[in-house]
Amino acid sequence: MFDLEELKKKLSQKKNLKEEKLSPKNTQLGIAFKIGTELVAAVFVATLIGWYLDKWLNTKPFFLIGFIILGIIAGIFNVVRSAKMINKG
Amino acid sequence: MANPMQQFEVYKIGPSLQIGNIDLSLTNSSIFMFTSAAFILVFFFLGTKNVSTIPGKLQILNELVFNFIAKMIDETAGYKAKNYFPFILTLFLFILTMNMIGLFPYAFTVTSQIIVTLSFALIIFIGVTVIGFAKHGVSFLKIFLPSGIPIFLLPLLVVIEVISYLSRPVSLSVRLFANMLAGHTMLKVFGGFVVSLGIIGGWLPFSFSVLLTALEILVAFLQAYVFAVLSCIYLNDALNMHH
Repeated sequence: MFDLEELKKKLSQKKNLKEEKLSPKNTQLGIAFKIGTELVAAVFVATLIGWYLDKWLNTKPFFLIGFIILGIIAGIFNVVRSAKMINKG
Repeated sequence: MANPMQQFEVYKIGPSLQIGNIDLSLTNSSIFMFTSAAFILVFFFLGTKNVSTIPGKLQILNELVFNFIAKMIDETAGYKAKNYFPFILTLFLFILTMNMIGLFPYAFTVTSQIIVTLSFALIIFIGVTVIGFAKHGVSFLKIFLPSGIPIFLLPLLVVIEVISYLSRPVSLSVRLFANMLAGHTMLKVFGGFVVSLGIIGGWLPFSFSVLLTALEILVAFLQAYVFAVLSCIYLNDALNMHH
């Protein structure tokens, strides 16, 4: 016969284990596939933001140039972060 | 030789239907969306009609898909994301079927339209942001604050974090769209070579397009999977903020 109490204990232990595992393992192939577009997308978005800020504030090239540089940095950040995720996973 | 981009043309089918300023007429794109949705419904209907302990072939397939997605959500978004299982499953199956149906000759690939993939990506992006704010309130903004950074660098890094957050829907949509567009264009180009080189020289491009078709099946699956995985990862960021 099963001891119900013990079974319950085991079950709650398992549940706790699951809840502890909050920072989960990531699927590596999925992350590997996102790296390529990630770099470009950040630059694209940053350029758009810079373009519109310039248009809005009449400061023609400055925001655009600044945000393109920030966008490149953000893109590299994204890629580094993804690469770290793969190493961790 | 036929234009390889002609296959991506969207045109109206049947009578035009106009409500207010919105054009609701059927197009080939919407018809293929309906077809995919119907295919998924029929697939699950037939699979779960006679559920038994010893499953039939379709039931096994259904359970396979179910477990596949459940496991993926568990691995990428953790315990708390279980509530979003129906959404992720629907998203994955819908994109997968649209990609797969698009591979049939004369079929239209809905996911090769940037507006379709962008809508998907924006739904996820806005949804995840709303979920983040609903779960954590204003402190959700902390995901823009990297930890352990000297104070004078903070404004710059916050801007960078915001840019990288805003770039998510762009990269998500462009990836799916570009992969489908490029693959189908390649198939069409090689198909055109077969026709123009004729029965003597056509065998080389023909064998290429056979190989490409296999590759495209892989890409169709992989892109749907990547889309679902990334939605899970974004969901994970919103649900379990790690800082």
